[in-house]
Amino acid sequence: MVAARAVHEGSTRPAGVFTRHDLHGDTVLDCDVVIIGSGAGGSPVAAELAEAGFDVVVVEEGSYYQTRDFTADTSAMVRQLYRDGGASLAIGDPPVMFQEGRVVGGSTVINGGMSWRTPDEILARWRTEAGLDLTPESMDPYFTRVEKRIHVAHNDEAAIGRENWLLKQGADAKGWEIIPNLRNQVHCIGSNRCAFGCPTGAKQSALVSYIPRALHFGARVYADVKVERITMHGKRATGIVGRVTHPDGRRGHALAVRAKLVVAACGAIHTPALLTRSGLTSRSGELGGNLSLHPNVKVVALFDEDVSSWKGVHQAFQVREFVREGIGTFAAVNLPPSVIAMSAPHRGAQLGALMDRYNNMVVAGMLIEDSTTGRVRTIGGRPQAFYNVADRDLATIKRGLERLCDLLFTVGAKKIILPLHHATEVHDADETRRVLSRPIPRSAWEVATVHMMGTTRMGTDRTRSVTDAFGFMHDVDRLLISDASVFPSPIRTNPMETIMALATRSAGYVIDNARRFLS
Amino acid sequence: MSESTYKHTVVARKVLRSLVPVICPARWSHLAEPIIDHMELTFGATPVLVRKGVAAGFLAYDLGALPMHRRRAHQLTGDAAEHYFASWEHGITPAHTQFARAINQLMSLGCYEQPEVMDAIGYHVGPWIEEVTRKRLTVFRDDVRAQEAQILAPDPLRPGVHVGARKKERA
Repeated sequence: MVAARAVHEGSTRPAGVFTRHDLHGDTVLDCDVVIIGSGAGGSPVAAELAEAGFDVVVVEEGSYYQTRDFTADTSAMVRQLYRDGGASLAIGDPPVMFQEGRVVGGSTVINGGMSWRTPDEILARWRTEAGLDLTPESMDPYFTRVEKRIHVAHNDEAAIGRENWLLKQGADAKGWEIIPNLRNQVHCIGSNRCAFGCPTGAKQSALVSYIPRALHFGARVYADVKVERITMHGKRATGIVGRVTHPDGRRGHALAVRAKLVVAACGAIHTPALLTRSGLTSRSGELGGNLSLHPNVKVVALFDEDVSSWKGVHQAFQVREFVREGIGTFAAVNLPPSVIAMSAPHRGAQLGALMDRYNNMVVAGMLIEDSTTGRVRTIGGRPQAFYNVADRDLATIKRGLERLCDLLFTVGAKKIILPLHHATEVHDADETRRVLSRPIPRSAWEVATVHMMGTTRMGTDRTRSVTDAFGFMHDVDRLLISDASVFPSPIRTNPMETIMALATRSAGYVIDNARRFLS
Repeated sequence: MSESTYKHTVVARKVLRSLVPVICPARWSHLAEPIIDHMELTFGATPVLVRKGVAAGFLAYDLGALPMHRRRAHQLTGDAAEHYFASWEHGITPAHTQFARAINQLMSLGCYEQPEVMDAIGYHVGPWIEEVTRKRLTVFRDDVRAQEAQILAPDPLRPGVHVGARKKERA
């Protein structure tokens, strides 16, 4: 076993973690299981299989950081922890900006930590539409195990900030269902920096939970290595070939890993591109298809009172009143001033006047369950997402915005900036309705997401799905997919726990069939 | 932590210098160089194709002022600089609009990342992080330790199954 320190305490890199500084020449490794990606999909598989005695190697394109590296320098964090500096874009009208982590721990390092089980009705849909034998009961042991490992709990009430109490007061006043959020945290104390790497160590991202556990049981993690392709022998996956990446874009030494089982866990954008680069196809024609992404929008509300929303836990509550209408949640989400300034369509004196009131702002967002799908295409080896928000979904967004603004005006908002490029401000609920009832050009909408799903969807029918009921790619031997790309549909809620639970279930399947995978 | 070695072109830096008074609030004009340096770091994190597109955009923006103003954009000041940038914001093509929007976004980001600016608007996040981190590790020390121990404690997914033993048997 390799001794690993709890990450936030260590002054050195834990044993078992290798970076670009450690690879001084082309390297070939042998192992039982190679896992590409160290986030919500890859890290549970790594920890479970390492504990069961498999020799596990994790290869991660991003770098390795520790809790002490996460500072108040927002831009530096974005540059270092996010793919493409956080500027990834799904092409469409409107385009959809999306963010994903590129760091050891993956997007769990930069998400808000929302930890929800897959809704029962989504599992029912997957049973009906994809033939998956997934029920709340059969998934319960996996959810329970994940919740223990990453410490899913309600927030400490004392750490909830003013902006979240305003959201709760508003929902209560309207008589809407609002629930306390469940997050993977141990006494989150409200630095409200979840999206930039938790600087207190409270958020139990994969970086401080599953990765240390995997290392403890002997797994090795190679950071700063971009996997170019999965190697194949006939229809059997046999390993990976990758290259060290440097911050300036230079490519370094090669790393080849020979393995008995290959696990792709690169997320719904990059997994289909990796498979395509590796020459793999799906007879379903669905590799890269079925992309859903929970389109979400945000508003900036200005209050007279000091809110200082950067003091308090992230998303303490979620409004769930309109789930049946396809509106997943409303939540209060603090953003640093630079990010608000960037997303505001103002400039000059107007920008100054807006930002001088930073401590009076509440940023609130909503996500919807999409009714359409897009596609990830692989162009020159790189993935490019294409997605057009459906008219119906834009109508849902409008309906949701009307209600969200209504809530915020109820608790004292004086002005709200809508998510439109032409800086539309509204001052009461009636004006909001009037503005939103007018035709709005599609290109005016500012839509974003952090939930990309569905591009290697699971199913029992290989003519309609890319992966089987446990995430193994149809018609390919020994290639497991373990990330949100296997979801047959959007899930209406934050996907991290579902990804981790399915990953744990897949790991169980591998252990149960170890003889087959180790031969 | 090392970062990308991307550097603005000479033209880009000149254009950006002329845009600081257009995009940033006037009281922060003296921070032009740190703001532009910050943008350099941001561009460095974007894909190469984006960087190339933006570099071409700077050149087009700079030269595009000649027909109307008989000067390059980086030489424009005051109302002329303002009007020229506005003409791109409401541009003839979506590419004009996108370029102006991107520059506005990244310069605003750079401006409000400056410590002096964050301090002035009352965002003191550094000391706040230090305060709450210390508090957490003091008040909740036992729970924090318990979670760290839980993370490393044996808890096999399939109790009694360890493939290491099987591999040794085979060997």
